[in-house]
Amino acid sequence: MPAWSVIAPYWPNLVSGFWITVQLSFWTLLLATPVALAIALIRETGPRWAALPLSLLVNAVRLLPALIVLYVVFYGLPQFGVRLKPFTAATLGLVAMGAAYMSEDMRGAIAAVPKGQLSAAAALGLPRAHAIRRILLPQALPLMVPPYMTRAIIMVKGTSLASMVSVADLTAEATRASSITYQPYVFLLIAGAFYLALNGVLALLQALAERHLRLRYRTAA
Amino acid sequence: MALDFSAIPTVFPALLKGAAVTLELTLAVLVLATPGGALVALMRGAPSPALRGAVTGASWIFRGIPPLLLLFFAFFGLPLMGLTLPPLPAAILAMTAYMSFYFGEVFASGLASVPKGQWQAAAALGLPRRRVLFRIILPQTIPAALPPYISHATEILKGTALAAAVAVPELTSAAKKVFVVTFRPMEVLIVAAAIYALMDAALLILQMLGERWSARRRARS
Repeated sequence: MPAWSVIAPYWPNLVSGFWITVQLSFWTLLLATPVALAIALIRETGPRWAALPLSLLVNAVRLLPALIVLYVVFYGLPQFGVRLKPFTAATLGLVAMGAAYMSEDMRGAIAAVPKGQLSAAAALGLPRAHAIRRILLPQALPLMVPPYMTRAIIMVKGTSLASMVSVADLTAEATRASSITYQPYVFLLIAGAFYLALNGVLALLQALAERHLRLRYRTAA
Repeated sequence: MALDFSAIPTVFPALLKGAAVTLELTLAVLVLATPGGALVALMRGAPSPALRGAVTGASWIFRGIPPLLLLFFAFFGLPLMGLTLPPLPAAILAMTAYMSFYFGEVFASGLASVPKGQWQAAAALGLPRRRVLFRIILPQTIPAALPPYISHATEILKGTALAAAVAVPELTSAAKKVFVVTFRPMEVLIVAAAIYALMDAALLILQMLGERWSARRRARS
């Protein structure tokens, strides 16, 4: 096992890479979540003319490797005059990928609430938006949490792809340090531990969110 | 700027060659990770708590670390432990390692979908355990495990794009090599995306056939 003296010169880089990874994860999740929820709601409760193109789009994105999507944003868009910074390009690509998969997870939870409830609410004269907000979502939310967090963890791991479009994230810094020092597994193990820690935090959040929802909506669990 | 596909016929053979490597990688991982997943699923039900704990821990680690990092580890880290592999086998090894654990989860939940009482009933009738597993339990797990199995198989297909990072000449790296020369990334990426979509479609057709086959089988018995 190499000494701390091997790791020390690269430690600040690893920490800054980790910080970039945290920021990538944060922005990706923050932007993808509302987009995914909107897609899921429109596809489940919206008009057909809006649902159909969305379902085509989601399924097209889901057929592609994430790396191809990132390449399209990073290498393809400049062809049309859209030049983005690596971080922005990576975030945009990851949001597109993440939102597509996440909307499917959310759709599952929304579909699990019997459709008759919305009809019943309409029969009682409740506006549709109100019915979605006060009747549909409170029941779908607890079902959404576990697949949402699973997806969030997958998306955090997915941010490592940003290293392929020259973002200096944790994976990029770890591989750079290993190729300079010829000590790959030290740096890769450190990076792996950082990712596990980040995902551990998300798993913890999941437990807290499930407990909160159980108490708030008193669902049988 | 409009899309211009005039250069595609010239570069298409290079993309096809990449697609062949992608297919080879996908099939190799599928063939190796399927028994790997079965082994993981069986070990999770093992009587020894130490073995069960070890498998659960390993599963958590392998599913919690970005696949890209595992690829780097197989490619750069293993040579230090005396195992130097060419890019393709290194990628197969890394992908098999994490996919086995994903398949393990799929198969474990498939096994859990068959009521435990059937084991006891078969044992009461004097059937040997192995025969019970192969003739009674496994055929019933297929309907529950097939859809997630195929969706993970498409994950393998899309995940092979990561092998571009460790110099495997698969479709994504072939696409990048080509568009660096043609200066028209978007067109090349669109063609590569279409090839990926076709391969995904082939897997989805397999799933449909498999589901129909298992439904017919169930109807017959």
